[in-house]
Amino acid sequence: MSSPNPSAPSCLHLKFAMPSDPRYLPVVRGAIGPLASAIGWDESDCLSITLALDEALANIIRHAYHNRADGLIELECRTSGDELEVTLLDHGDAPDKTKICARAVACDQIGGRGTHIIKEVMDTVSYQETPAGNRFVATKRLRRTL
Amino acid sequence: MKISIRDAGEIKIVEIEGDVDLGTSPDLRRTLFDALLHTSKVALNLGAIRYIDSSGIATLIEVLKHSQSRNKEFVLFGLSPAVQHVFHLTHVIRIFQVFQTEEEALASA
Repeated sequence: MSSPNPSAPSCLHLKFAMPSDPRYLPVVRGAIGPLASAIGWDESDCLSITLALDEALANIIRHAYHNRADGLIELECRTSGDELEVTLLDHGDAPDKTKICARAVACDQIGGRGTHIIKEVMDTVSYQETPAGNRFVATKRLRRTL
Repeated sequence: MKISIRDAGEIKIVEIEGDVDLGTSPDLRRTLFDALLHTSKVALNLGAIRYIDSSGIATLIEVLKHSQSRNKEFVLFGLSPAVQHVFHLTHVIRIFQVFQTEEEALASA
C-alpha cells in the first residue's frame, strides 16, 4: 500500500478563472452546490450558498464590468473543516461600499436584492480594494446539530 | 432556459424550463411583456425552474407592476421547490398571486 502523499492538500481548494460572461454562471453554480453538500450542508442551504455566490458574481458582471463579457473574474473556494471561504477577484470598477445594503429592500422593489441575499446567507462578507483588484471574501461555517 | 407560450381561451400561459439568471432573465422579460400586449391575463408556470436568482425575481416584479398599471393580471403557478426557496428567502411571495395548479391559476379572477 502506498503512503499518503505529503504534498496533497488536507482540504479542498477550488480555483476558477472565468470571463465576466453570464453564460458561465451555470458552470460555477454547478460546482458550488456539490462543494457545499460535501462539507455537510443540506439541500436548502446548498441552494442558498449557491445563490449568494451567484449574486456576488452577477454583481461583478453588472457593476464592476458594466455587462462587458471580457473582464476577468477569479474565484477561489477553500474548505477548512466545517468552513467554506469564497474569494472573488475582479479588475473592474470598485463597488461603492456606502451603497452596499445601505437600505432595506421593500417587497415590491424591483432590484437591489443581491447584496442583501449575500449578507443574509453568508456569515461574514467583506469587500476590499487591493493592488491585485477588487476582492470579495465571504465565509460560512457549518453548524452541526447533535 | 426554454420558454414556450400557449393559449387557454383569452389567457396566455407561459412555461419556462431551466435556469433564470442574469443571462436568461432578459429573454423572460421580453416574452412576458410581449404576452401582456396581447391579452389581459398571463399565467406563468414555474414548475420546471431549477434555479432563479435576484435578476429573475426583479423581472417577475417588474412584469407584475407593468400588468397592474394596465389593469391586467399576471399570476404564477406550480412553483418548483427551488423557486419557493428563493421566494421565501427574498420575502417576495406575498406580492404575487400564486396558485398550485394551472386550473386554479386560470380560474382566478
